[in-house]
Amino acid sequence: MLTRSKFVLAILFAALPLALIAALLSGPVSVDLGAALSQGWHSDSSDAVILWQLRLPRALLAILVGAALGMGGAAMQGMLRNPLAEPALLGVSSGAALAAILLLYYGLAWQSGWLLPALAIFGAFCAVACVWMLAGRGASASRLVLAGVAINAFLSALMALALNYAPSMFAMQEIVFWLLGSLANRGWDQLLLALPFILFGGILLYCARNYLRALSLGEDSAASLGFRGRRYPLLVLLGIASAVGAAVAVAGTIGFVGLVVPHLTRPLVKQDPGRLLWSSALAGALLLLLADIVVINFVGAQELRIGAVTAFIGAPFFFWLIVSARRGQQL
Amino acid sequence: MHFASRILLLVVLALPPAALAQQRIASLNLCLDQILLRWVDPQNIVSVTWLSGEDHYRRAPLPEHVYLNRAQAEELLPLQPDLILVGQFGAQRAAQRLRDLGLNVVAIPDAYSLEQLRDQLSALETTLGQLPPLQKQKRQLAKLLAAPLPPAQASALILSANNITYGDGMLEHQLLERAGFSNLAAQQGVKQLGRVSLEEVVAAQPDLLVFYGGEKDFAVAHLATRHPALKNYIDSGRIYTLPEELGFCPALVAAEVLEQLTDKRKSFVDAQ
Repeated sequence: MLTRSKFVLAILFAALPLALIAALLSGPVSVDLGAALSQGWHSDSSDAVILWQLRLPRALLAILVGAALGMGGAAMQGMLRNPLAEPALLGVSSGAALAAILLLYYGLAWQSGWLLPALAIFGAFCAVACVWMLAGRGASASRLVLAGVAINAFLSALMALALNYAPSMFAMQEIVFWLLGSLANRGWDQLLLALPFILFGGILLYCARNYLRALSLGEDSAASLGFRGRRYPLLVLLGIASAVGAAVAVAGTIGFVGLVVPHLTRPLVKQDPGRLLWSSALAGALLLLLADIVVINFVGAQELRIGAVTAFIGAPFFFWLIVSARRGQQL
Repeated sequence: MHFASRILLLVVLALPPAALAQQRIASLNLCLDQILLRWVDPQNIVSVTWLSGEDHYRRAPLPEHVYLNRAQAEELLPLQPDLILVGQFGAQRAAQRLRDLGLNVVAIPDAYSLEQLRDQLSALETTLGQLPPLQKQKRQLAKLLAAPLPPAQASALILSANNITYGDGMLEHQLLERAGFSNLAAQQGVKQLGRVSLEEVVAAQPDLLVFYGGEKDFAVAHLATRHPALKNYIDSGRIYTLPEELGFCPALVAAEVLEQLTDKRKSFVDAQ
């Protein structure tokens, strides 16, 4: 079983560069990849510009955002010890999106630098803190989901309200982007904007891996092992907010990745919440990259929002998990 | 008849009929709002749509006495307008209600091509009389339509919000053609509106990249126009931004846009 798990993880790891190559080959224009690579970064030829300025940053952003969402989902499920916990379901993504909307549509422009992800992270942090406080410590699954749904619905309504009164001509249409996410027309600037915050979030979550492991034995056991006080939960919350908030600020709210991916990879890491973080990051990156390849190849310039595609890909896996659970296995 | 009475009669006959009859004009259409505010004496305007009060759409000063309506019949009744202008498609229910109540409601056709623009200006002339700015615009347009189509000397591609481009059968396409550009979208078979990805824009390598509005407020819809892959176009001045008015009221800016596009094409030819 162990060998098989490692084998599957190795396949996932090997599939990522292959998917990256597939993403670089995907697009409405036929590009000579070899020539574009040899022409280099600074070339003005259209093939090189398409490869280096359009396809590569988009594919890398898909990997980065997917990893952030996967890792965020795993950390949240570990901390809340709830299989339904997910950054989008518990309002983290909506909080980040609301903050981004307020800044972009009412405040500074897109080129506002670090302020955009910083504010999105703050929004995400506030949202998850609200859910945590509303549900209370050691809340049951139903109470937590109820609190999450309430906060999420409220934040979604605020997003719609903010966009409704935004001065942009396309305000109402833009709601679809913020609710379903998109990687279209993204470049290096968005990638570099999100990268440090997602890395920072990842490092924080990595530092909290032993806390998550201890927490799987229960709060009291975790406390007896030395993980007492608010320091560790705050570390996890800040990590989730940083990674997911930055991802949402540049790609909108992409659902399902954070919910499904930890369930898919949990058997592969023997239910270890610590190792689940990086395996979920890997699988999340792969899932989102594959979803984006589907978006590019099968939908064309009139792009289907990537959140819809992740739901299409993720939902059948989830159905399978639910059916497996009904047969007596643990979810 | 007394001499003074004869003079008065002559003056009355010399005036355009509409100018006499319509002292209280209202509009239920954004474009017609802007036309009224620009070309008609403000004292004769009683109401325009609320959109004309928004900074985004306002292109002419808005007099304080003008009521901003939301195309509701009951808003206009107390204002007792003697002429209500409506567009071809919007506010049709309110227009019908006002007609039923015996008010003078005139529908002005929308313009999506230079020919339709000529029809729109003619309809406005029939309704509002021979206003000098309207006459000037009409003359300019007639001159443009009479001139032979120049040979295409450079290529252009429109990249609008949400990656929309304009092909054959659109006013924007006609303006490009009349300015001496070949519209690459039309060449690739786009009829009216189509989508163009950033990759297709880069691969098509147009001489001129034409953006469409969107400079003022942030929108994800305009993200493509801010992409670094288009930096070369911006740095080398090979871009032109169509004013937003062209989309909602071409009568105001079509002639001016054509002139600017023609200058742009000439600068390309000179550079070559």
